[in-house]
Amino acid sequence: MIDPITFSIIRHRLFRVVDEAVITLKNVSGSAITNEGHDLMASLYRADGSLLMGGVGFLHHLTSAAEACKSIIRRFRDDIHEGDVFLLNDPYTAALHTSDVYLVAPVHHQGELVAWSACFVHVYDIGATNPGGFCPDAENIYTEGFSSPGLRLVEKGEINRAVMDTFLNMVRAPDMVALDLNSMIACNNVARERLLALIEKYGYDTVDETCRTLISQSEEKLRARLRELPDGEWQSRQYLSVKGEVARVALTMTKRDDSLVFDFTGSSEQSRYAVNCTRWASLGGLFAPLFPLLCYDITWNEGVIKPISMIAPPGSIVNCKRPAPVSVATVGAIQSVNNAACAAVCKMLSASEKYQDEATAVWHANHFAVFLFGRNQHQKQAIGILTETFAGAGGARAWADGIEVGGEIPNPISRMANVETVEYAFPVLYQFRRRLKDSGGPGRYRGGVGMELSLTPHDAPDGGLHYVVSGKGADFPMSDGLAGGYPGSPNAYLWIKNKGSASAGGGAGDAEPLAGAATPESLAGAATPESLAGAATPEAATREQQAVDWGVFPLLGQDALYLRWNGGGGWGDPLLRPEDEVCRDVREGLVSPEFAENVYGVVLDNATGQVNKAQTARNRARIVARRKTGGSHAPVARA
Amino acid sequence: MRLSRALKAERAKVVCAQCEEALCDLSSHWKENAALNETPMNQLGSPYSTGEQVLLRLFSCPHCGALLDTETALPGEPFLRDEIFTS
Repeated sequence: MIDPITFSIIRHRLFRVVDEAVITLKNVSGSAITNEGHDLMASLYRADGSLLMGGVGFLHHLTSAAEACKSIIRRFRDDIHEGDVFLLNDPYTAALHTSDVYLVAPVHHQGELVAWSACFVHVYDIGATNPGGFCPDAENIYTEGFSSPGLRLVEKGEINRAVMDTFLNMVRAPDMVALDLNSMIACNNVARERLLALIEKYGYDTVDETCRTLISQSEEKLRARLRELPDGEWQSRQYLSVKGEVARVALTMTKRDDSLVFDFTGSSEQSRYAVNCTRWASLGGLFAPLFPLLCYDITWNEGVIKPISMIAPPGSIVNCKRPAPVSVATVGAIQSVNNAACAAVCKMLSASEKYQDEATAVWHANHFAVFLFGRNQHQKQAIGILTETFAGAGGARAWADGIEVGGEIPNPISRMANVETVEYAFPVLYQFRRRLKDSGGPGRYRGGVGMELSLTPHDAPDGGLHYVVSGKGADFPMSDGLAGGYPGSPNAYLWIKNKGSASAGGGAGDAEPLAGAATPESLAGAATPESLAGAATPEAATREQQAVDWGVFPLLGQDALYLRWNGGGGWGDPLLRPEDEVCRDVREGLVSPEFAENVYGVVLDNATGQVNKAQTARNRARIVARRKTGGSHAPVARA
Repeated sequence: MRLSRALKAERAKVVCAQCEEALCDLSSHWKENAALNETPMNQLGSPYSTGEQVLLRLFSCPHCGALLDTETALPGEPFLRDEIFTS
């Protein structure tokens, strides 16, 4: 029996091992998606590949990387040696999509395999049809880049140059991809060294007993928590649309005693587009919100996986069959699984007096995934995601508003790069990047607001650049509200065209601003894409706009790319939001006066901006009366 | 017994937590007995630039007008069903 002090010390040392491994990834990788957006993960696994200590980053990788370790064990059996590092990125084996490359490494102690470390980054490029790895129009996985069910990249401590060089020969920007691979090798080295130091200090048997105890403790704690929650069944639903085709992720979550079943029966058949995900990806997708929502005080390991099971119909969008394309999975069906699981779990938490405050409306439910590519002002080919896609909005809770631009549940450390970082890496100028009014889902507690931005080419040797957008459409809000809260607003992606600019036939690289061009000055203060392209001003008459949510598009000449992304879901009845809080939201530019009146029922005085209490009372009473009658109609407008 | 923030089970009925009036028997689907308002989502305002068919469903207490739950749905989509097992 290990003493509790030693147990606690070893437990916390294991936390620090994965923390330090993550720091290594960030410091060695040269990609903004890794060191700015934190699209990464590092974790420790037991000798059999089961999860030992989940790290931070995108949490839907914790279970998939476990399967990656198990797959390598099955494939290489007795041919696994000290100092080896294996690469795996096949989504039909364990990975989420080809761009998220796993490097998994055995940890040996005195010649015996005692553990695994595993990590991933979204590599700079994977040699797919489109730069950056997301291939919106891929017809199958064969065009989605290099894919391996497992190969030995490092053999007994020595990089296998033939394998490394072959891999780098198949990708754009091999120097940057090499940095990504080196960051993961370094990450695994750090994890192994720190874990072995821990074993050296306390002895293998003590560390092993601690690990086994941690796993059994986690299972016991989660099962105990589940027993405290009511038995029942909760449903959620997510829509995603691509080029007018609507797909559905349907979830029924059943909780009985100390177990949970996630059943995706009723979800759409696999899509012709790359939004599908494989079984392992769905499993990871549903676990990602479970770790923080149900296991916030429980160690993330194999123990919390045991009480959970999943039903994902083969051939569906959440369990597609090879060779269906999956390169957009992480912002496609996986994210919808994240959202659906979050919504169902939080409805269950809301049904509990004890746990209701742990529930949250859905956070940042729709990544927009724009990869820029082209020659930059430093005469180099640049590829990179706009890391704003990681800057989601928080869902509201039973006791607080969602956090404005607060991140996302599946990645507790997600964030975005500074504007200057992007402007340095790409020949673009931000015309604005700011919080988006009226985007937070209305509720007693309002969802956090999302953002909007506009980019134009700037100092571009080729007159601009191109981008890949995998926006899975803007037709549906995805950040569901909770307990009567409304969903957050959806995404929008617009190409603002200046007639006569390069992309409209004016020639690339025009040095002189065109008449009526969208300049920072002309766009300053613009609140909506409509005002960017509307005909209300003389210069606006030279513009037109085009939705660009799926495919590859130019950003050339004087054109602009406008993006806005979703707010978090609201919690509770918006009519119960105190008048002064709505007034404050309007004053701070987070809610418009029209929205305050029509949705929150709060009427503000045009001159003073203060609440008109009498009109507010009448307006709210009118909305309540209309609710009681039911029917289909537009929001109530004040008489 | 608590069913959600807005609903509870009492006397084998689903009851509005605000006004304590019954909506239906516990064995029935409460949403079918709530007042339903279906609003085109894109009429909420500028950032809600959804497709024409996308609806915001508001389920309210027919007695007091308390907002009980919301859903995003396409026309004709069945109501999401949430249920506490009482036995």
